[in-house]
Amino acid sequence: MIEETNKKVELDEALYRPIYETGKGFYLTVGVLLLIIFITLFIYIRQVYYGLGVTGMNQPITWGFYIVNFVFFIGISHAGTLISAILRLSKAEWRRPITRMAEVITAIVLAIGGLHPILDLGRPDRVLEIFTAGRLQSPLLWDVTSITAYFTASTVYLYLPMIPDIAKLRDRGGKMVWFYEFLAWGWYGTEHQKKVLSRAINILMVMVIPIAISVHTVISYIFSMTLQPGWHSTIFGPYFVVGAIFSGIAALLIVMIAFRRFFHLENYLKLIHFRYLGTLLLIMSLLWFYFTFSEYLTGIFGSEPHEMDVIFYKFTGTYAIFFWGMVVCNFLIPVVILAFKKFKTIKGILIASISVVIGMWLERLNIVIPSLANPRMGLETGMYIPSLTEWSLFIGAIAVFVLGYVLFSKFFPIISIWEIEEGRKESVEEVEKRVKSYLPGPANVTE
Amino acid sequence: MPKWAMAIDLDKCTGCGDCMAACKLENNIAIVDPEQADEGRVMLWMDMMTIYEGEYPNIKVKRIPKPCFHCDNPPCIKVCPVHATYINEEGLVGQIYNRCIGCRYCMAACPYTAKVFNWYEPEWADEFKTCMNPDVSMRMKGVVEKCSFCAHRLLKVKENADVDDRQIADGEYMPACADSCPADAIFFGDLENKESKVYQLSNSPRAFRELENLGTIPKVFYLSERE
Amino acid sequence: MMKYINRNLRDKLIFTAQYLSISLMWVFVIGITLWIINLIYLSVDLKDAPGISIGISLVAIPVFLTLAGILTYVFVGFHSKGKNNFINTPGD
Repeated sequence: MIEETNKKVELDEALYRPIYETGKGFYLTVGVLLLIIFITLFIYIRQVYYGLGVTGMNQPITWGFYIVNFVFFIGISHAGTLISAILRLSKAEWRRPITRMAEVITAIVLAIGGLHPILDLGRPDRVLEIFTAGRLQSPLLWDVTSITAYFTASTVYLYLPMIPDIAKLRDRGGKMVWFYEFLAWGWYGTEHQKKVLSRAINILMVMVIPIAISVHTVISYIFSMTLQPGWHSTIFGPYFVVGAIFSGIAALLIVMIAFRRFFHLENYLKLIHFRYLGTLLLIMSLLWFYFTFSEYLTGIFGSEPHEMDVIFYKFTGTYAIFFWGMVVCNFLIPVVILAFKKFKTIKGILIASISVVIGMWLERLNIVIPSLANPRMGLETGMYIPSLTEWSLFIGAIAVFVLGYVLFSKFFPIISIWEIEEGRKESVEEVEKRVKSYLPGPANVTE
Repeated sequence: MPKWAMAIDLDKCTGCGDCMAACKLENNIAIVDPEQADEGRVMLWMDMMTIYEGEYPNIKVKRIPKPCFHCDNPPCIKVCPVHATYINEEGLVGQIYNRCIGCRYCMAACPYTAKVFNWYEPEWADEFKTCMNPDVSMRMKGVVEKCSFCAHRLLKVKENADVDDRQIADGEYMPACADSCPADAIFFGDLENKESKVYQLSNSPRAFRELENLGTIPKVFYLSERE
Repeated sequence: MMKYINRNLRDKLIFTAQYLSISLMWVFVIGITLWIINLIYLSVDLKDAPGISIGISLVAIPVFLTLAGILTYVFVGFHSKGKNNFINTPGD
């Protein structure tokens, strides 16, 4: 029995290697990231000390990078849970090496994104007033509630499928066995435990989808519940969700390609996985373009003067370069690369994904700033130049994300080992049975 | 319950800016240094909109004083996460400086850009410190502030009226801008009092309000024969 | 250091830690419920559109309670039959 387990473990040895072998690259990466994060922390404390004047925000542009990045990071969080939940729900077997990476993205990026409104506050020391004197009628509090719900749900949804892998790490011995034993919650792979776990995961994967959709819809409500031109649009809910899934898939692809290269996971993350996700990315790009086109056609056709001010600011005014840059990055580049099989290599998909991530950040910028820069009643157009503080906090946030991911991959397998094993052992027959059940004729299949 | 409203006669207003200065002095509003002012961080509770229309040589300049409109259906109070901005029964939209967390959502939601923010710790020149108004609370950095229709004056007037056991007379409670206007272009009073000047002016054919189609029901009426 | 503690004591310590973790989850969820109820009470007191507060709480509170419930179900399910196997840890 023990020899059998040992032989099976050797099959997936590559997935254990990052945990047990720590090279110089790891220490260097963590060191650099910690340095960036400490500098960022210092810059933030400076902002709290002097006031928000150290940023580039002013009247009328009262929201800047912090809100843009808030929406951006929470948007990326849709990668994880939504993709892994939907793929699990639709019984897509190719999801097996991807789900954990996706779920980790969600957990880390939600924490970072949820912190950004606090970075944006003029009085962060008063944030506890949300608990003592809050108003649930304000879209900001809807945000607090739904992001907390999503963070809790996605952490649980990340943790539960991790338990069998943690148990494997516990059983292998080596360092920190007590840590894995604590987290494994007494999993020994018995039939009863398997049933309990699979039932819990099934309930969660259905529950997490409406929570995830609600999160970005509620974030869009921050804008659409005001009366400002360019914001007060009914399409914002679905528009933001589509944009979030779009940027999420792109971020997931970048993470997958990075780990494939650094951990030599070519055997697990094959071209087919990238091709399938690339197709999803293409579909989201087309959907995104459809929503964007709809939004601007409606505005231009109605020609309401305040709305046109904002639209011209984006089309031909100061923000033209960001707006058209966004269209190129979100639509032209991904569609050209992903629609043609010749370009749909891993390198091509990497370029498309990076382009989408940049494009979606530009989209958040194009939503927040132009509406604020064009106040009504003939007041002067505002100008927003982000300061060093805001750039630093942006880079710091990205550094926190990378650090979180690197640390996670150091302690836990980044690809779900037990699900790959389950795929090897059970899925092939299960899928064969399923496909046979679709086909007509004399079925020799037990229903 | 009185409903306080303001009427500004644009046909009398010369655009001198006296109301802006009076407001700044009355309410201890911070003086912002010129570089910051250039960047768009001027702190004016009573702002003066300068709108140019037409091409040279037929340019029309409109100077319109703009305080907070104290809307009856304010978009700003709907979005505040901590009850820091609120509307009271007399129609005044107030701001609780001690509770504001500085999220600036109300500033983003106001269609009239009536609110200002303390981007730094407010500062005054030494000469100013001798003539600050003790009736108005000082704000700290990181909070939003806006025109309060000089509510501190209302408190004083109410106290006097209570002591004498009478109603507040029309014209007794006037904000600093209305008091100081040399052209007498700013009127202030109770909309519920059918005999007040403001009520009569609000029903004048010259009266209009800004962006009425948004449904914010602003309580500052502009009077003008022009468009 | 963990290796040198008596195995029985070690297992009990780890079980206590796991039990604490699930209790923390309940503390968190009940905290959020109490917070939302406090906000509903405030909105009724100030007559500030209490309908919306109640509506949101009707969705949010069950979500949190369900999440805590799922975790507890998993915890109890794992330990109910597995408790007997505590003494013999594999890898012996």
